[in-house]
Amino acid sequence: MIKGLKTITSKEIKELVRDPRIILGITVAPLIMFLIMGYAMQGIFTQVEKSVEQIGLGVLNLDEGNLGESLIENLTKLGVDVIELKSANESDIVQQMKKYNLTTLLIIPENFSENTQSHKGIIKMYAVYEGSVTESAKTGKISTIIEQIKRMWSPDPFTVSENSIVKGKIIPVSPSILSGLVMSQNITIPIVIAIITLLSMQLAATSIATEKEEKTLETLLSLPINRFSILVGKLFGSVFVAMIGAVAYLVGFNYYMGSFNAPGAGYVELSEIGLTPAPAGYILIGISLFVTLLFALSLAIIASAFTEDVRSAQALVGYFYPIIFIPMFLLMYTDMSMLSLPVRIAVFAIPFSQPVLAVRYATSGDYLIAIAGIIYVSFLTIVILYIASRFFATEKILTAKLALKRMRR
Amino acid sequence: MGMVAVEVKNLVKVFDRIKAVDGLSFCVEEGEIYGLVGPNGAGKTTTLRIIATLLSPTSGEVKIFGIDASKKPEKIRELISYLPEEADAYKNLTGVEYLRFMAKLCSRNPAETEEMVERGISISGLGERLNDKIKTYSKGMKRRLLIARALMTLPKLAILDEPTSGLDVIYSFQVRDTIKSFVREYGITVLLSSHNMLEVEYLCNRIGLLSRGRIVAEGPPDELKASYNASNLEEVFMRVSNND
Repeated sequence: MIKGLKTITSKEIKELVRDPRIILGITVAPLIMFLIMGYAMQGIFTQVEKSVEQIGLGVLNLDEGNLGESLIENLTKLGVDVIELKSANESDIVQQMKKYNLTTLLIIPENFSENTQSHKGIIKMYAVYEGSVTESAKTGKISTIIEQIKRMWSPDPFTVSENSIVKGKIIPVSPSILSGLVMSQNITIPIVIAIITLLSMQLAATSIATEKEEKTLETLLSLPINRFSILVGKLFGSVFVAMIGAVAYLVGFNYYMGSFNAPGAGYVELSEIGLTPAPAGYILIGISLFVTLLFALSLAIIASAFTEDVRSAQALVGYFYPIIFIPMFLLMYTDMSMLSLPVRIAVFAIPFSQPVLAVRYATSGDYLIAIAGIIYVSFLTIVILYIASRFFATEKILTAKLALKRMRR
Repeated sequence: MGMVAVEVKNLVKVFDRIKAVDGLSFCVEEGEIYGLVGPNGAGKTTTLRIIATLLSPTSGEVKIFGIDASKKPEKIRELISYLPEEADAYKNLTGVEYLRFMAKLCSRNPAETEEMVERGISISGLGERLNDKIKTYSKGMKRRLLIARALMTLPKLAILDEPTSGLDVIYSFQVRDTIKSFVREYGITVLLSSHNMLEVEYLCNRIGLLSRGRIVAEGPPDELKASYNASNLEEVFMRVSNND
């Protein structure tokens, strides 16, 4: 064994374990996080299951033979609620679907029976795609049922050509491919936002702790300057760094969105089919991320005023992990419309959800909700800064660490 | 000697049931160098922090040139300059940058800033090294820079907590010399703390011996030595503490 290794390791462990802030931060935070997430995910899965129990499927049967009828019978047998459209025209599918409030429509073409006998039959499926998990679960279920019927008939009697309807436009891409693409966005964006938020919070948290550790804060506080300017000056310094982060994020995000195209059904860019934000949306996303970072930095600076050194300040940021990660994870796998009202309010109330929500709302064009989020976070930031300024005006800025020390004993 | 620079009356400061300062009273005349002397934990730093408006008293009164420190702390901050014990400076700034940063925060116009910086450069005596980053400085160089920072603004009252803390004999001598000549030249008032009896004997016009948060003896060093029949201040202090 290397000389001294054991002694140094045991001293390190003692020092870390004896600081309750560190040990609590790394044990309690993840526990709470997974408990809440597990609970939320359970709710979501139950809802998805419920939504696919009753599937309404519109069918336009143009087949001149009898296999079309037979297909409809089989669908009904397998539990699909078939709504037959008699007089619909293939050219006004979107309007027809809207009229009958359908999210999925099958068109059985004229020569279906004839072609199916020679294994060349094609049916067309149209599914409205709005980006929610329940929609893709529904189309997934229908596809599975059709596969079942195909197996019952004979191997590969016909194929299904899947199309998506996005914002009223027919896109010759399967909704499952689209939802795969959108899902990968939904996962990446929150992760990147969480990383930027945490990095800037770590950075800001050390700013006052460093002044305390190096005993430069006392000198600053004894100078004939407004103490609020010390606080805001520190904030602006971190904001500058955060702004660079936000700009880097936007550039990367833009590139990332441009890099998506659907494989298989030809070249489809998400931006062309309206699944990426318009320029105004990008501006909103940028502002939302900026005000959220401003909020996060204010919070980190104030929290760090309660610590006496850099290590404790960084450990303190660990306490914010659950409130940063829970909404991010939730929004990765679901959308607001699937959450119950109280959960929806809670997610909206957590400022860290806002940049993720801004991406969603900017994409769907719901700018007002994105703007409301920005106003809300700005308001919270002002409140926090006000509390901080009161705190800075008193001796607590120096003695708060004493209180924590006492707590530790 | 003119007006009273510092007036402390029945000052008490309690931190969570621990009385750091316990009914302390003393006065410092304008132009005087007054030393608060005592062992660790006697309440020197707490007293200086209250006078520097960093802490607020639990009870009692502190007036600086007649202004109440609790009521108008921002007025006091315009008159004083405070050097905390073992304070550090921003490591990645150069010495000159640090002096200029501090001067900008204390001055009213750019001309005054430059005046302060020039004075700071001369007090520090660090010459060319002022253009190097502070992280390359020795402990002694840093302390001289910080003393220069505290004095360059020509405060009416300089509050220096252990000005030679952690310095070797040569650096301590230089720092004491700087303070003494500066006071002679500009007539500012200095309130300092120290547990170095030799230092206060050399520097101070008057001292207050502090024990458990209160003054146990006060006067010019020579008078104190005479009245306690002691050859140096350490002996005075031991005799006073034994009586206490």
